[in-house]
Amino acid sequence: MNAPPAAPGLTGMADAVLSEIASLAATQAQGGGPAAVELTSMPLTAADRAEIEARLGRGEVSATIESAGRSEIWETAYSGVWFVRHLGRDGAVATETIEICPAPKILFSHPDDRRAAAARLSEDLREKAAPAA
Amino acid sequence: MAPFTIEPAPEPTLGESLQRRGISRRALLKYASYLGAVMALPASATEAFAEGLANARRQSVIWLHFQECTGCTESFTRSFSPTLESMIFDLVSLDYLETLQAASGEAAEEARLKAMADNKGKYVVVVEGAIPAKDGGVYSTIAGQTNLDMLRDTVKDALAVVAVGSCASFGGIPKANPNPTGAGPASQFVTDKPVINIPGCPPIAESMAGTIAYMISFGKLPELDRLGRPKAFYGETIHDRCYRRPFYERGEFADSFDDEGARRGYCLYKVGCKGPVTYNSCATLKWNGGTSFPIQSGHGCLGCSEPDFWDQGGFYRPLSAPLRDMGLPLAAAGAAGLALGAGAAWTARRHLANLSAEPPKPEGGKS
Repeated sequence: MNAPPAAPGLTGMADAVLSEIASLAATQAQGGGPAAVELTSMPLTAADRAEIEARLGRGEVSATIESAGRSEIWETAYSGVWFVRHLGRDGAVATETIEICPAPKILFSHPDDRRAAAARLSEDLREKAAPAA
Repeated sequence: MAPFTIEPAPEPTLGESLQRRGISRRALLKYASYLGAVMALPASATEAFAEGLANARRQSVIWLHFQECTGCTESFTRSFSPTLESMIFDLVSLDYLETLQAASGEAAEEARLKAMADNKGKYVVVVEGAIPAKDGGVYSTIAGQTNLDMLRDTVKDALAVVAVGSCASFGGIPKANPNPTGAGPASQFVTDKPVINIPGCPPIAESMAGTIAYMISFGKLPELDRLGRPKAFYGETIHDRCYRRPFYERGEFADSFDDEGARRGYCLYKVGCKGPVTYNSCATLKWNGGTSFPIQSGHGCLGCSEPDFWDQGGFYRPLSAPLRDMGLPLAAAGAAGLALGAGAAWTARRHLANLSAEPPKPEGGKS
């Protein structure tokens, strides 16, 4: 028979997830590749999720992205361990992922977007420089 | 002199199309992360998923309504608003969908025929509803054509068929005993194309969107179970992922819907929950924008994503009671779980896993 949860709503899953994150962070620190722990599809209670977020804490970097809804990203108190939260309809959480990497990919601009942006910027400057008709 | 013709511009890729609207690739990466999460794809696949979507062109989809209530279309369309979840509509071209299309009558049917001709061998047919076959299929006709004839006519040049909902997947309520119209699922009548089943009454919107997006991005079918369902969404039972599972493990059950156990949120197994034998993602994806799912609202799972769920002997009859069409191991395992708690529960889980075990399916094979 399982022991009852230690606190209301806590199932013990938070400890398991944090252990996995610690293991992945250790691997990353020794030269391993990026890794991620997807929280969304795990059978976590709201208390479990809050526990994971609270124990990872907040670090020096945070960012928001407005693209197909809002995204909130922050480095946790542990360097290289990032919390990535994508919000969907009505601000509801669509996904929550712990990424173990130098920085999450979604913060980087895509090469195709950079090419299009460079062309657009040049075009905008040409239009400004052209004499008015 | 050759006649002067203007070649139509090639259809832009999804990435180009979004870029023209000022939407960056981050949106696709975010969408891929979202679908990858609900499909339990490895995080390393997210970038490839996003790149695949960016380089694909809009997928032509012909959506056929047969014997059904249109609840699946409601689930697919009403679950979305212009945010992350609605991006599936950037990926597909719904060339024929009676519920939503503006055209009617002959113009509507011409749209279907044009989409078939323009995208020969490349379009996906979504089937919603069962197909009545008795008496030549006369029990349901559209524009004077039986559902059976329309299905065969539309599917002949299709890339694949996606059967959405339990009616199209397994016959559903139209096929329920005594099945007066001889209704059957799409896979009964489509034997020369891949058929993917997305059952549920209705199915979860993300299951439909995720399956289609996966096909567009990776150019292949997702891995299917023995019933032709994508394992990503139907790989585990409701019971496996249920937040009330710890009560089951401890032998704590509601005996009726108004007793102390029900008020305490105990396991609903004894009041008929079919979660242990039902493969679906309701417990994780949930409904109404992730608000809840039936068990969270205090009602047991009906098992709507399993074949013949309507004829399984009663929604409020516990699984340990004799069940029609369900083998002894399952009923016995359920009873053992009730009696013995955690140990027996894991035994039951193994039995259930064995029930769902299937040989590897050849990629692109029929369901």
